[in-house]
Amino acid sequence: MSIVPQIIINSIIAGSLYALVAMGFSLIYSVTKFFNLAHGVLAAVGGYGVFFFGRMLGLPVMVAVALGILIATLVGWLLERCVFSPLRSRKSSALVLLVASLGAFTAIQALIALLFGSQFLTLAPILEGGSPFTVAGATITDVQIVLVGTALAAFVCVWLILKKTSFGKVVRATADDEEVAKIVGINTHKVIGKTFVIGSMLAGMAGILSGFDTGIEPIMGLPLLLKGVIAAIIGGMGSVPGALLGAYLLGFSENVGVWFIPGEWKDAISFSILILFLLLRPFGILGRK
Amino acid sequence: MEYLIHIAIFSAIFGILAISLDLIVGYTGMLSVAHAAFYGIGAYATTLLLKMLGLNFFFALPLAVVITMLVALLIGVVLSKFKTDYYALASLGFGVIVYVVFQNWLQVTRGPFGIPGIPRPDMFGFTFVENVAFLLLALVVLACVYALARFMVRSSFGRILTAIREDETAISVFGYRTTSYKLIIFTIAAGMAAIAGGLYASYITFIAPSAFSVNESIFILAIVILGGAGSLRGPLMGAVVLVLLPELLRFVGLPSDIAAQMRQLLYGVILVLLMLYRPQGLVGTYKL
Amino acid sequence: MTNALETKQLVKKFGGVVAIDRFSVQIRKGEITGIIGPNGSGKTTFINVLTGISAMDGGRVVIGDQQEKGGIKAWEVFELGIARTFQNIRLFEQMSVQDNVLIAMTKRSPLAALFERHRDIHETLVKEVLTRVGLYDKRRALAKELSYGQRKLLEIARALATSADMILFDEPFAGLFPEMVRVVSDILKELRAGEKTVVLIEHDMAIIRELCDRIIVMDAGQLLAEGMPKQVLTNPAVIEAYLGV
Repeated sequence: MSIVPQIIINSIIAGSLYALVAMGFSLIYSVTKFFNLAHGVLAAVGGYGVFFFGRMLGLPVMVAVALGILIATLVGWLLERCVFSPLRSRKSSALVLLVASLGAFTAIQALIALLFGSQFLTLAPILEGGSPFTVAGATITDVQIVLVGTALAAFVCVWLILKKTSFGKVVRATADDEEVAKIVGINTHKVIGKTFVIGSMLAGMAGILSGFDTGIEPIMGLPLLLKGVIAAIIGGMGSVPGALLGAYLLGFSENVGVWFIPGEWKDAISFSILILFLLLRPFGILGRK
Repeated sequence: MEYLIHIAIFSAIFGILAISLDLIVGYTGMLSVAHAAFYGIGAYATTLLLKMLGLNFFFALPLAVVITMLVALLIGVVLSKFKTDYYALASLGFGVIVYVVFQNWLQVTRGPFGIPGIPRPDMFGFTFVENVAFLLLALVVLACVYALARFMVRSSFGRILTAIREDETAISVFGYRTTSYKLIIFTIAAGMAAIAGGLYASYITFIAPSAFSVNESIFILAIVILGGAGSLRGPLMGAVVLVLLPELLRFVGLPSDIAAQMRQLLYGVILVLLMLYRPQGLVGTYKL
Repeated sequence: MTNALETKQLVKKFGGVVAIDRFSVQIRKGEITGIIGPNGSGKTTFINVLTGISAMDGGRVVIGDQQEKGGIKAWEVFELGIARTFQNIRLFEQMSVQDNVLIAMTKRSPLAALFERHRDIHETLVKEVLTRVGLYDKRRALAKELSYGQRKLLEIARALATSADMILFDEPFAGLFPEMVRVVSDILKELRAGEKTVVLIEHDMAIIRELCDRIIVMDAGQLLAEGMPKQVLTNPAVIEAYLGV
């Protein structure tokens, strides 16, 4: 039996997860021009939201998932309103925003650990998974199928919003040049707020799906964030199709890499890829400039 | 009393780390999140030289500093290609890579198990077994690092670093090769971090990768920013405050896991509040 | 008259846009050369290429009798005896006025700079240039605390402090009060009297007429006209480019 189909499936699963994080991160970067490190912790917020509503309160799965996404979105939006937006209106440097988002990340992650403990938890009992499917000699669970489907659906939705709606138009205008967008009468403050809502929603979904797939722990946000950022940069910062492409490329290179190099080196590999990209092609595959 | 000495030693070690990181972040304007990597390389190199070659601490430490500076030079060459947030990200990348090496290069670092039984320093037959003696040693080293940092920032060299922070393009037109300046200060600061690493290893007598993770880099950064980047008193003060503060939590009687999380929560909130209300830190003048 | 600087078929592109198009001019030693042209005609880009802020895409620059091929690195500019000011004021904002000027005078090599403290010799020169622009009393203030006009003057002081043979001024008069305009134009005249070469980008034709020995007119990255102010400013092509008739 060949191992190749399984590697391909695993790559697609990992890539889908990274894509959910990367698209939101890249979208937020495109309008704010700063690395929102707090983005990753929203995944943990989503995962723990489902844990709280589903396992602790015993609400139905779908309700718990909806509430989990809602709470991740809310936290993301609040961060924008209470921290990032005031800093931007003060014309703070990119460094200040970066440090503030790092602080928010650290604080929220610690808060989750204080509320729920820092051990690894599983969401599985909420969802009675069926038996895994076998496709061309590779196994994939139903959660993983949902994960892949969600990532692709999210991409199509975001892409359609950006290309076909009037909201997408103002997002692109703000991304091109916030000052000019303001001059032509776009309320960039509102646009950025809504972008945070979309991005945070995606991050929350990533956390929830990853929670159903493996489990949740307070520090789950960091690896997700780092993979999302790397994917976004490889694909081209600020480009949503780029984020998707970068995510799958990263997923493949990691899973193929593990074939040759022990798994513990995975993080080192991803970061080496990142640094290589930053050096040789800093604007990514689909990025401009 | 013994407890206070312990805290004082830690404050000194983190004082060295914070002053050296401040040279990179506060004076030159490069947001490095890789400092714990050099702290760690210094600690591991000192440990290996002590344990495998049986060198005296006072020979092992300078050698470890040189080794760390060589690694920093290589990393610095790559990092010097980046600016602002990309710099931060790439430095984070190096931080993670070095950490993964500590974790997985089992033959040398013993991975997560760590290396126990590191000897305390000794000099002319006198061993710094007593913590009081070690504190004195740590303070002397801190004073030397402080003096060196002060010498550098007060010279024309220091003024040039600050100008690079303010506008690298503008200063290069005045005839300065900014890349060499950035590389030099990055390498020197990494050497200082290695000194802190050597002190830490021989004080605790045990090292494991977790002491040199990305979280530790963020902690050092928080010290610098809290105290006031771009000043030398600031990081020192920040080190004392941030080493002391979590100890107070322990006094309240919280279990250690919860205390650790409270610490993280505190650091995070401090960073956010500082950025919002006091970007120059407690005693600094430079607004990030 | 010898040339302080000469460009040969200089080209600069941004993406597909040609900002400077086969641009060949001479700038004569000891003169004030004005560069005029409509907005976006490539004046600032020209100075940026000369000072290594933007890399050139073609042509050559000859400085004095040293051949320069391919391009100029920003840090070489000082060694070539050139200093400049920036149109969009680029001071070291969170440094004192005095430190802003000292940067122009200290040792360039890292090792030498490490062992250098600023001494009397610096103090004298700092006092001289800051007094010249009326900022000596403000020497301990941070650059960002100065008014717009003072900031412009500080940039000029910083360029003067390099003692460069050639200084490129990018719209030094823009937004200045009349008395400050007087200070700056006196400085430019003094530079000329001291055999220094001055390049001046300026929109105000009265100032150009008063100060410049020669004028270079740029339009769409190309050389439109050059010569004495009287001839050039009555040239129909120049008038057309300016008024868009």
